[in-house]
Amino acid sequence: MTKLLLRRLGQGVLVIFVLETITFFLVRMLPGNPFLGERKLPRHIMEQLNALYGLDQSAVVQYMNYWKGILLHGDFGPSLVREGLQVSRIIAEAFPVSLTLGIVGMLIAICIGIPAGMLSACYRNKWPDAVLMLLAMLGICIPAFVIGPVFGKTLGQLPGLSVAGWDSAMCIVLPALTLGLINAAYLARLTRGGMLEVLSQEYIRTAKAKGAGGMRIMFVHALRSGLLPAVSYLGPAFAALITGSFVVETCFQVPGMGLHFVNATTDRDYFLIQGLVLCYGVLIVVANLVVDLVLIALNPRLRAQGTA
Amino acid sequence: MKKIQFQQGNSLWKDARQRLYRNKAAMAALFFLVFMVLACFLLPLFPFIENPNATNLDNIAAPCSWEHPFGTDQLGRDLLARVLYGGRISLLVGLVATLVALMIGLLYGLISGYIGGKTDALMMRTVDVLFALPFIVLVIVFSLSIEEPSRELTESVITWTGWSRESVAPILGLVPLFIAIGALGWLTLARIVRTQTMEIKSLEYVQAARSLGLGHLRILFKHIAPNLLGTVVVYTTLAVPGIMLTESTLSFIGLGVKAPNSSWGTLIKEGADRMEVSPELLIFPSLFFCLTLLALNFLGDGLRDAIDPKTAKD
Repeated sequence: MTKLLLRRLGQGVLVIFVLETITFFLVRMLPGNPFLGERKLPRHIMEQLNALYGLDQSAVVQYMNYWKGILLHGDFGPSLVREGLQVSRIIAEAFPVSLTLGIVGMLIAICIGIPAGMLSACYRNKWPDAVLMLLAMLGICIPAFVIGPVFGKTLGQLPGLSVAGWDSAMCIVLPALTLGLINAAYLARLTRGGMLEVLSQEYIRTAKAKGAGGMRIMFVHALRSGLLPAVSYLGPAFAALITGSFVVETCFQVPGMGLHFVNATTDRDYFLIQGLVLCYGVLIVVANLVVDLVLIALNPRLRAQGTA
Repeated sequence: MKKIQFQQGNSLWKDARQRLYRNKAAMAALFFLVFMVLACFLLPLFPFIENPNATNLDNIAAPCSWEHPFGTDQLGRDLLARVLYGGRISLLVGLVATLVALMIGLLYGLISGYIGGKTDALMMRTVDVLFALPFIVLVIVFSLSIEEPSRELTESVITWTGWSRESVAPILGLVPLFIAIGALGWLTLARIVRTQTMEIKSLEYVQAARSLGLGHLRILFKHIAPNLLGTVVVYTTLAVPGIMLTESTLSFIGLGVKAPNSSWGTLIKEGADRMEVSPELLIFPSLFFCLTLLALNFLGDGLRDAIDPKTAKD
């Protein structure tokens, strides 16, 4: 098991490294530069700015310096557009916002998606199954950027709920709900599939023959392995939350990493883009590791494989 | 003498077609998609569909009427025309980006599965690493970074062929999106193709072909690839909605399709901004978009059940 985890950890480090390298060089290829504001700067000022931030050096030297800064000093560089602000400061402010939003959204997804999938599997091919699966299909096909504004228009009018900003606890409700419902749709489909597969196995028939009740079979015998596909989806789902967060944070003006990322790419804020991408990479790798641990806990076969 | 009647056996494809015909949801989806493609690509050729970019400041934000079935937007542009032209772009990006992804995924999977051994292990670990990257982040950075080269390409195409800028620029402006989404969307397909290739490779007829002295390339493309067709068709259909969703997400946050083009994503964005005043600006593009995705998903599921009954859900 330790071997498996170590291998995954090594792979994670590789993922982060590859991601950051690709991003670094792609960002340098972007047309335009961060200093093209509303005023056109004179040439010599532009050159001085480039020299100040080390952008006049060759890309490879910049790349080496960037890693040196991070690994030796924990320095992610300055924001090129918002003067005097360090990238680490911006991330430190935005990260908790996005993380809270992501976790609440995920909890909503789990609380709706998994019971819905189980219910669907219970009533396989009867009307509750059909209704739930149609809803799930709709959830997959109606994108976040349609659900978001519609929620803002309808639910947002309710007293106490806010459609924009991040200054009170109620602000989280609508963005988290939007994120949650979309992932709930995928989770419901996967849970249904997983449960159906388990329910057709022989040990379930044995349990039935020995007189176990429907509830007992569902929760005690089937749930544990029936959840496996849904749990393995949670890792990639974390990545999907990032996509969702771009949209949801733009819709509801939530000052999280997604909003910063979208702005940073339009502003060509090199260091901020790199810092945020690094942050996303770490998040995804950690999420995948956690999912691996849960999978190992749920699936004895994986445990045996890991020790062998 | 009695004539012997031969009962013609059904081919695999005929069986699959009959299974598909019996699936009402998939057939409805298929008809809807054909209708949608015809509407988006042919209807604008008729004169009663207005120019989607023609503004009319005397008729701003008009409600639905006979002249403007879906009403007009804040600049007086006909929404029906805009939705149809937007559909062209969305469907085009969905289709071309999927084809790019298909090409890469198919070749990668075939090679990896056929060669096997260490090469295969290396290629699949690479896919694992790429899988863990946040897809959308890379698509954004990649599509922006190839904008400049693709603009140069547009210029050189115009000077070389002498075509007018109006006819060339809108399509070539989409090239960064085609490439970026396609170049990063092939991973699932590569995995599936590889597994299938490995399975087929060990079948006896491939060994027979081998022992008859056929070359690797010939075996790969003549004897293995055609047998992947079913799987590839199914997963390509299922990949299109995801890719269209990526495109529209990018367009919604302002990093995808750019003016003068507009896709369903950009229309939805405009509609969401003006929802308070005229909700139909959000409703119609969203409806077209969601129904198309729904139809693609139903058709994909139906095709999977028809072509590959083993993996069918129930």
